Amino acid sequence: MSIAHMMASGLGGIRTSGDLVARMQFARKMKTPAAKEYVAKKLGVSVLDLTDVYVMRDLREALGIGVTVGLPGAPRGIAAKMNIEKLLDIEINCCEIFRKMTSKR
Amino acid sequence: MAEYLTYMGDGKRIFCTREKIIDDLQAGMAEAVEVGNVPDLTSEELAMLCDIVCDRNRIVSVEPGNEVVLSNDGAQNKFTGDSGSSGCGIEMSALAAAQVHERALSMDTFEFGSLDNNYSVKPLKAVIAMQMQKMEDMQNSMIVPFFYGAMPNMGLYYEPDGPFGNPPDLMREGKIEEAQSEMEKAMDMMTRDIEFMGVKMQEAGSDGFNFDTTASAGDGDFLSVLRGVELLKKARPEAQTMVGMSSENVIGIHGMLDYKGQDVAGIYPHDQAKLAEMAGVDVFGPVTNTKSGKSLAWNMAYSVALIKECEKKSNLPCHVNMGMGVGGIPMLETPPAEAVTRCSKAMVEVAKVDGI
Amino acid sequence: MTSFENERKAIATAMVAYKVPGIQKAAADAKAAGMEATDIIEAMGAGMSEVGVLFERGKLFLPHVLSAANGMSAAVKALEADLPKDQVGTKLAKVCMGTVEGDVHDIGKSICSTMLQCGGFDVVDLGRDVPSKDFIAQVKDNGCSMMGLSALMTTTMTVQRDIIGMLKDAGLRDDVKVMVGGAPVTQTWADKIGADCYSESASEQVDRAKALLG
Repeated sequence: MSIAHMMASGLGGIRTSGDLVARMQFARKMKTPAAKEYVAKKLGVSVLDLTDVYVMRDLREALGIGVTVGLPGAPRGIAAKMNIEKLLDIEINCCEIFRKMTSKR
Repeated sequence: MAEYLTYMGDGKRIFCTREKIIDDLQAGMAEAVEVGNVPDLTSEELAMLCDIVCDRNRIVSVEPGNEVVLSNDGAQNKFTGDSGSSGCGIEMSALAAAQVHERALSMDTFEFGSLDNNYSVKPLKAVIAMQMQKMEDMQNSMIVPFFYGAMPNMGLYYEPDGPFGNPPDLMREGKIEEAQSEMEKAMDMMTRDIEFMGVKMQEAGSDGFNFDTTASAGDGDFLSVLRGVELLKKARPEAQTMVGMSSENVIGIHGMLDYKGQDVAGIYPHDQAKLAEMAGVDVFGPVTNTKSGKSLAWNMAYSVALIKECEKKSNLPCHVNMGMGVGGIPMLETPPAEAVTRCSKAMVEVAKVDGI
Repeated sequence: MTSFENERKAIATAMVAYKVPGIQKAAADAKAAGMEATDIIEAMGAGMSEVGVLFERGKLFLPHVLSAANGMSAAVKALEADLPKDQVGTKLAKVCMGTVEGDVHDIGKSICSTMLQCGGFDVVDLGRDVPSKDFIAQVKDNGCSMMGLSALMTTTMTVQRDIIGMLKDAGLRDDVKVMVGGAPVTQTWADKIGADCYSESASEQVDRAKALLG
């Protein structure tokens, strides 16, 4: 089922920009057009580029926001999410907790 | 006369003429208009649906640029669970299942939830520390928005599974007020449990809480979730919530409940979304129930007419439920991909949903 | 000869309004106008079907359905003296209803039980999570000639098939009509397991059950 929906309608997750658009829907209650425009602006690309793997694969690696392929040295997990926070100007709960945990002497 | 391969609501293959498909689309829409009090689809929209159903290709899709967010419910259970949760029975960890969804299946969000504990709020309280520990571990690896997911499942608060009298049993005995009173007590307990679970999972780093199959036990179930979301948001404003429903109208088991002056029982998606918004929900997940004895065309028009109005009236992003037996998709554990992709396209390009 | 159109309309309106006194009054008025007791009961049954449809569409709620059913029961009791002697207390058939073992979903099955009761059937509601052997015992020892098996999960719908198998093993399959229902259940599934009847909703179930009577 997930595969069929992905092929028919999906934004593409971390292959492209789906996670970023989803972040704006959940963080700011943005509907899809507004969320896509916001993300495209922050990434400095067009809305059509958001689902273009040719554009997004290298851009994600350059921004350190996580890529779909196994790439040693590339940020994953909280490291990637801390970069996403800065990119999208949002706070992510687990990153906040991580900062609190690592600020103790 | 040319015939097109299409499906019944139970997934069975049939062949229909374009005229028959148009008739079914109009009948499905008419039913939605009548039951949900929503406007007709326009003739252009019906023509689009007809083209989608009649497309000769196996798989159809939206035009580039029209893609939407794919969120999930059911968590890792889609892999690890049995057929009851549409699972494949694959032995793997919750983290591995989440990573496969993120990195191989290109899901835009995912969640962790425990089927071992009935994937329901009440029993999960007892294993909260283990749930928190797993959430902490998984947040260290996941990149996509990652939630904690569970069903409210108010049925577990009633006898024989819980402390409160069973409302349908009491009503059969003519004890209607007593049944309503028991329901209200169960609601209070479930609301507190939702707040407790939600706060704990936020402490563990969750992005928020995904309520799956909300209102399966009727109006009291829905009201408890709305109140629970409100309390959770007050305690942890950063908690992002998605409320996914279980049916197209809220079944009136109590019948006299209201949320901030608005009736809860009997309401359809466009009114449900309004209550969700009042409670502080971030993303709303409307549902329509597929009628297995009707065709794909009938179910598609029925679902699109109801969800289009929901999307139009809602200020929240709406992610329509589109799994087995919902959103026009046939009631079959392994629904035909041909039917799934048609419903997917119809919901995105005609109903204009924000996500699936 | 009158068709009692006004009385039928009044009964239908009273049923949908679901107030016990209102239903009793509509039935009493119809009787006073000369309408046969059996016709009054039939009109109330038709009204109850409409109540079922309105419940499924979210226009009426469970307390209303049960109130309408209670009103109909009270009205039927008051009419008993006017029924032909051989029809007093007679039912179309005895039906055992239940949600199958391992499944605690209850509401849909309860509505079906109520609708069948109002439709003239003698209903034995076994509740939820019913051991399969209890269904068999109802046929063997309690005279049930019909059986309604509800399952709300794909993992429990297989129990419907198991029970049909148990009926065959016990040599009882020909003595009972088996009806199946529940969210994941379809006509295809009913055909596959050899059930006699499937209905997608409680409101259509009564007609289908009556059709099984032949």
